Amino acid sequence: MSTAATEPASDRAKGDRTRGDKGEVLVDVQDLKVHFPIKRGIIFDKVVGHVYAVDGVDLQIRRGETYGLVGESGCGKSTLGRAILHLEESTEGTVTFDGQSLTDLGGEDLRKRRRDLQMVFQDPMGSLDPRQSVESLLVEGMKAHGIVGDAEAAMPRLKQLLSDVGLPAAALKKYPHEFSGGQRQRIGIARALSVDPELIVADEPVSALDVSVQAQVINLLADLQEEYGLTYLVIAHDLAVVRHISDRVGVMYLGGIVEESDAADLYANPLHPYTRALLSAVPVPDPDVEDTREQILLSGDLPSPANPPSGCRFHTRCPWRQESRCDDERPQLRLVEIDGTTGSHKVACHYAEQIASGEIQPHDVETQTEDKPKELREAEGDEVADDIPFT
Amino acid sequence: MTTTTPETARRDPRGAEPLLSVRDLTVTFKRQGEDPFVAVDGLSFDVRPGQTVGLVGESGCGKSVTSLAIMGLLPDRGNTVTGSVELDGRDLLTLSNKQMRDLRGSDIGMIFQDPLSSLNPVVPIGRQVTEVLERHKGMSRKSAKPVAREMLHKVGIPDPDRRLTEYPHQLSGGMRQRALIAMALACEPRMLIADEPTTALDVTIQAQILALLRELVEEMDTALIMITHDLGVVAGLCDEVNVLYGGRLVERGDRHPLFHDPHHPYTGGLLSSVPSLEGDAAERLNPVPGSVADNLPWTSSCAFAPRCSNAIERCREETPAAVASGDRVLRCFNPLGGQASPAESEEDRR
Ligand SMILES: Nc1ncnc2c1ncn2[C@@H]1O[C@H](COP(=O)(O)OP(=O)(O)OP(=O)(O)O)[C@@H](O)[C@H]1O
Ligand SMILES: Nc1ncnc2c1ncn2[C@@H]1O[C@H](COP(=O)(O)OP(=O)(O)O)[C@@H](O)[C@H]1O
Ligand code: SF4
Ligand code: SF4
Ligand SMILES: [Mg+2]
Ligand SMILES: [Mg+2]
Repeated sequence: MSTAATEPASDRAKGDRTRGDKGEVLVDVQDLKVHFPIKRGIIFDKVVGHVYAVDGVDLQIRRGETYGLVGESGCGKSTLGRAILHLEESTEGTVTFDGQSLTDLGGEDLRKRRRDLQMVFQDPMGSLDPRQSVESLLVEGMKAHGIVGDAEAAMPRLKQLLSDVGLPAAALKKYPHEFSGGQRQRIGIARALSVDPELIVADEPVSALDVSVQAQVINLLADLQEEYGLTYLVIAHDLAVVRHISDRVGVMYLGGIVEESDAADLYANPLHPYTRALLSAVPVPDPDVEDTREQILLSGDLPSPANPPSGCRFHTRCPWRQESRCDDERPQLRLVEIDGTTGSHKVACHYAEQIASGEIQPHDVETQTEDKPKELREAEGDEVADDIPFT
Repeated sequence: MTTTTPETARRDPRGAEPLLSVRDLTVTFKRQGEDPFVAVDGLSFDVRPGQTVGLVGESGCGKSVTSLAIMGLLPDRGNTVTGSVELDGRDLLTLSNKQMRDLRGSDIGMIFQDPLSSLNPVVPIGRQVTEVLERHKGMSRKSAKPVAREMLHKVGIPDPDRRLTEYPHQLSGGMRQRALIAMALACEPRMLIADEPTTALDVTIQAQILALLRELVEEMDTALIMITHDLGVVAGLCDEVNVLYGGRLVERGDRHPLFHDPHHPYTGGLLSSVPSLEGDAAERLNPVPGSVADNLPWTSSCAFAPRCSNAIERCREETPAAVASGDRVLRCFNPLGGQASPAESEEDRR
């Protein structure tokens, strides 16, 4: 594992973009927090609380690898991804990309840097302007970043992009609605690729696609990574998909990373109680497995990120919770070494070792109802009623 | 305990008489100026008390239209429904809207993917459950209340007394789906139709809801139609699985033989394209090429032919018939296993 700092970005000659070594840290996130204020009142915008969407995340993504981020709805995956790309203002903490701090970057510098950081979205239809042809969708970013002067000069590159993502050249003159979901996602990927980025953040890139088509897009992402040495942050809730495409995996729960390790190690030796429950809950398309496996059924729901539990955020649902520490001391993400793990396995649980050894056994959990402050509940009710889309 | 193992030995419901018999169900949408579109094409299946029958397939293959047709919830205009849907020997397709309304909620319950849009946003949860009981069981509001409370408790809603007075938006997604299940089951329907009931939920919540459904179906001997695109859900929950493609049944079988030995190339393709939680993660996935946009018309070919790795010349020229052998039904000229189907004759397509 190499953690050497990279050359400063200013050394990079324009046009001839040198890339650093595979394996060095490309993205370094330190203690990142994104808190959204909950406002109430028509005349006076009174802040009645905060949604702690991302609440203290440390994360490193190495050049050329795929980092998979999993967790349940609302745990802060998208917000974290967006904050890394500086599409979301962070409340605290730093994001360093290729040795350069993105956090204090603004204006023109940020705009230039954007070229290196691209995003692929879940809903290919919603993220592509329906009135633009594929050609104009693809040329847009290239022009903005001065990669090509006009559409004509862009033609060879456009053809290459389309063939890279497996679409016929005739697709250039068509519009997004003329394609199937899987093809639209290919267009979204081609658009991200068009500016020759280093990092692609893919937020649920296959979850809107049919099962039979998901595999096409997963294979495509893998091929492109190989071809162009891309680094990926893939956000997904499907654990099997994440296992398949990731080198390393981070599991999020209520704004924090609770476990992180090499993908194979994480799936073979889940150490955090939440990861164990999550893995055991995934339905497997094999009746024999389904008939015999043990499920850890969690009781209750994910607590609201506006009112996260004290101490370990998982303690309200944790079948292994202990009398001491769990309720009042927030566990740090720390290296845990246990026979069979790789030595880079991090867990945020006070009792990871004792749980792994069987010294601590699971027990029943009383389902807790959430008691949020009344104002918060009402404010959240308003949000639902107004149907503000949070994605 | 917090850990559960589903029982391996389930009661075999196959001996019983079917509760619901769907025969040749065909739904055609016709919009002015457009060609008629056959969304469901000659679908037949049975559901017995205590049995869970799965309908699987990708989006647009006709799953939801099938459930809406069974429940009489398709719009009055713009479509024709033919065939029959018999519940206890009574053809639901011949009933009036009012008769169907009485049946829904009493004999047939339903659960949809999006609980928020199926619950009334301005009526407290408790009232919504008691209303079902008042309407279909003739209970007074007063006598319905404890029953509603008991139902909420039964579906695992903590602190039911408080929840009775709350509105749908005050509940989490999982709690709303539970409330909807409570409403659907309040009158102990003999038939329950669940259309993607867990698709919008997180896996840990999905596991809770599936365990709940499994338990209730067992306990009340309910016949369940489970509609989903998730093969994992099917593998754990359904006794019998119907695989649909482009509005038609392409394969049917009990879940064990179907998953272990898929005969239809589409079933096989689906199963081998999903990434797994075990085995070699680095192995390349095997996608089904193309998409449903490539489908051929069923009337003169196999719709799946452009995407099928087993396709032969005949597949583009004739329509394979759905043929039963034992508990298995297959529609294919060149299957992965099992007997090839003959071409569909005129009689097949009345
Ligand atoms: N602009 C915003 N203002 C207020 N709250 C927000 C905003 N964006 C997100 N949130 C809240 O922050 C939390 C985390 O949201 P986020 O979208 O990151 O979750 P996620 O893990 O991506 O979930 P999903 O799997 O559903 O996409 C949620 O509670 C969400 O409602
Ligand atoms: N009201 C309608 N009018 C016209 N076409 C419809 C209507 N409802 C559904 N369809 C079409 O019927 C097909 C099957 O739809 P549906 O049953 O909803 O699919 P799914 O299997 O995803 O549930 C789709 O092609 C859909 O576009
Ligand atoms: S710290 Fe305690 S509550 Fe948190 S996961 Fe570990 S055992 Fe469970
Ligand atoms: S009939 Fe032909 S095209 Fe259709 S599934 Fe069978 S082999 Fe494939
Ligand atoms: Mg998200
Ligand atoms: Mg549907």
